[in-house]
Amino acid sequence: MFRLALKMLVGDRGKYALLVSGLTFSTMLMAQAMCLFCGIMSWTVSSVRNIRASVWVSDPMVEQVNDNKPLRSSDLSRVRSVPGVAWAAPLYQGAQQARLAGGDIKGITLVGLDSATLAGAPGRILAGRLEDLRLPNTVIIDEFAVERFSEATGRAFGIGDVFEINDREARVVGICRAERSFTGGPYIFTQYERALDYAPAQRKMLSFILVGAAPGYSADEVAAAITAATGLRGWSESALIWSTLDWYIANTGIPINIGLLVVVGFVVGIVFSAQTFYAFVLDNLRNLAALKAMGLTARLLVPMLLLQAITVGSIGYGFGMLLTSSFGFFTLGYGRIAYLMPWQVPVVAGAAVLSICVFSALLGITKVVRTEPAIVFR
Amino acid sequence: MISLLLRRLTVWLALGGLAATTVLVNRMHGDLSAEAPPPPVPPATNPYGTGLGAAGLVEARRENTAVGAPQPGLVAAVQVAVWDRVEAGQPLFTLDGRDLQAALPVQTANAAVAAAQLERLREQLARLEAVDDVRAITLEELRNRRSDVRVAEAQLQAALSAEAQTRALLERLVVRAPIAGTVLQLNLRVGEYVSPSAATPPLILGDIATLQIRAEVDEQLAGLVRPEAPATAFIKGNAQQPIPLTFVRIEPFVVPKRSLTGNSSERVDTRVLQVIYSFPAGERRVYVGQQMDVFIAGEAKP
Repeated sequence: MFRLALKMLVGDRGKYALLVSGLTFSTMLMAQAMCLFCGIMSWTVSSVRNIRASVWVSDPMVEQVNDNKPLRSSDLSRVRSVPGVAWAAPLYQGAQQARLAGGDIKGITLVGLDSATLAGAPGRILAGRLEDLRLPNTVIIDEFAVERFSEATGRAFGIGDVFEINDREARVVGICRAERSFTGGPYIFTQYERALDYAPAQRKMLSFILVGAAPGYSADEVAAAITAATGLRGWSESALIWSTLDWYIANTGIPINIGLLVVVGFVVGIVFSAQTFYAFVLDNLRNLAALKAMGLTARLLVPMLLLQAITVGSIGYGFGMLLTSSFGFFTLGYGRIAYLMPWQVPVVAGAAVLSICVFSALLGITKVVRTEPAIVFR
Repeated sequence: MISLLLRRLTVWLALGGLAATTVLVNRMHGDLSAEAPPPPVPPATNPYGTGLGAAGLVEARRENTAVGAPQPGLVAAVQVAVWDRVEAGQPLFTLDGRDLQAALPVQTANAAVAAAQLERLREQLARLEAVDDVRAITLEELRNRRSDVRVAEAQLQAALSAEAQTRALLERLVVRAPIAGTVLQLNLRVGEYVSPSAATPPLILGDIATLQIRAEVDEQLAGLVRPEAPATAFIKGNAQQPIPLTFVRIEPFVVPKRSLTGNSSERVDTRVLQVIYSFPAGERRVYVGQQMDVFIAGEAKP
């Protein structure tokens, strides 16, 4: 009987294609918007993902990682004195401007790493060596900087090239891969002391303290211990990420704007596929009525219709995700688009498509149930 | 037939979509979830379960001696080089003393003149005193002659003193080591002008057989420093070599923390308690002026 239902579904190729394409489109719209949303949100926490440490310490008033309320340099010793802290290293992070040969000025995110340990150094060095950061006036730039600087100077920018940060020379000794940042330009890594030289002098310059947890302590325990003992604020990596995300959700229009896109996808899906499915049911009403006349009860007809709807939904969903993920693979190589697909995206999109299908099927079911078998003879 | 093909194709494509999604999710998830990697260079970790962290600066035992110049002047000679071991009293450098040297022969000559004068007066006096006939000379004249001799004696003494003064001033231009130690820094070269009020001392001496560390503890933690607590230091960037420390003293005066940004308008109100520890230099390549990470065992409550 269910075989019959599937035959009925694919029997009319045009209708079938229309149904599938509607759901494909809707899936893609929703998934794509969610991926873009996740992507943009992931850019807001790119500092935490580029500068890795299990625990971060900041001023108690800091809400997110792009916030700059510097600490006193002696706070480093205080943090080192907290039980559970294996090591602590200073970190400078700030938005500065790079001046290129030719006078072009580009915004950058300057990161100063502890000179002794290089804690928080970029994990993926594509060219050059991290140790070369110990040479005078050296920086490691990310791929995005290579792209931006090459555009500005009109030639391939790379290792050995120089630019200026606040009138001081910066020589490129390495290129790394880093996540894009939401606020600033590309990431430029250098040593902490040199970063203080590059940045205009302020009363306090220590943006964050990076901390490693001692064996036997979890990051959350250490973060809580630091908060309690020093009056500063300790964050585990994930706590800082979530606090940053919350801050951007609460303080920017991103979630509403992109959320609307998801809603549009959902509505388009419902309208389009419910309509098409209803039309499909109407077209097959005679056949369904014949089945009814042959003695098929509603109890059998309803699962048949549901099966049809879910089949169409699954295939449309599959198509939609195929398109979405193809785009995702493209962004992996391209890098300029804020795009991230956590597992929640396909799940939520799937649930939405499923609900659209069930809704459409219900529309059809009410029609079929009310149909007189006699319609066959009209 | 076509319908079958269509069905198959769509199903496979849909499954392909699911597979691609799974792969993508895994790839993007992989970036996110990894544990934070350890720093490229292993950092110094607190060797005591609970302890105080401090920033330390290596200095020579009993601190570094910044040898000063006694007076402004040109450097005529430098008798030592850095790393030289010197004994107390050994000449370190000499200031230009040509003016004094020029005055010296004059003063020597003056002394000779005074001596000759004295000699002459003494002879005259002796001759007068040798006369037995009291009528030949007056008492008055004899007295005058005697006082002339005394004046000449005093003049000779003055001339000799002036000469001795010049010699002492010349000697003062040779700056000598106040302590036995090693020349750690030499900020002067022959021909340079040195001044006692210069910001950088011309020469730094120190006893580096035993080094000491000036550990700076944040004032908020000052109450937790216990003299008997064991302490360990690590050279910056070398976490493999812990250096056990011996307590020397706590500086009774809490000072503002040095080297924040070096900005003259610095107003950050951070003060530190300085704790002095010593350690034998031995074979370790530890240099005076190096920064150290110091850990002092302590209570759990910072």
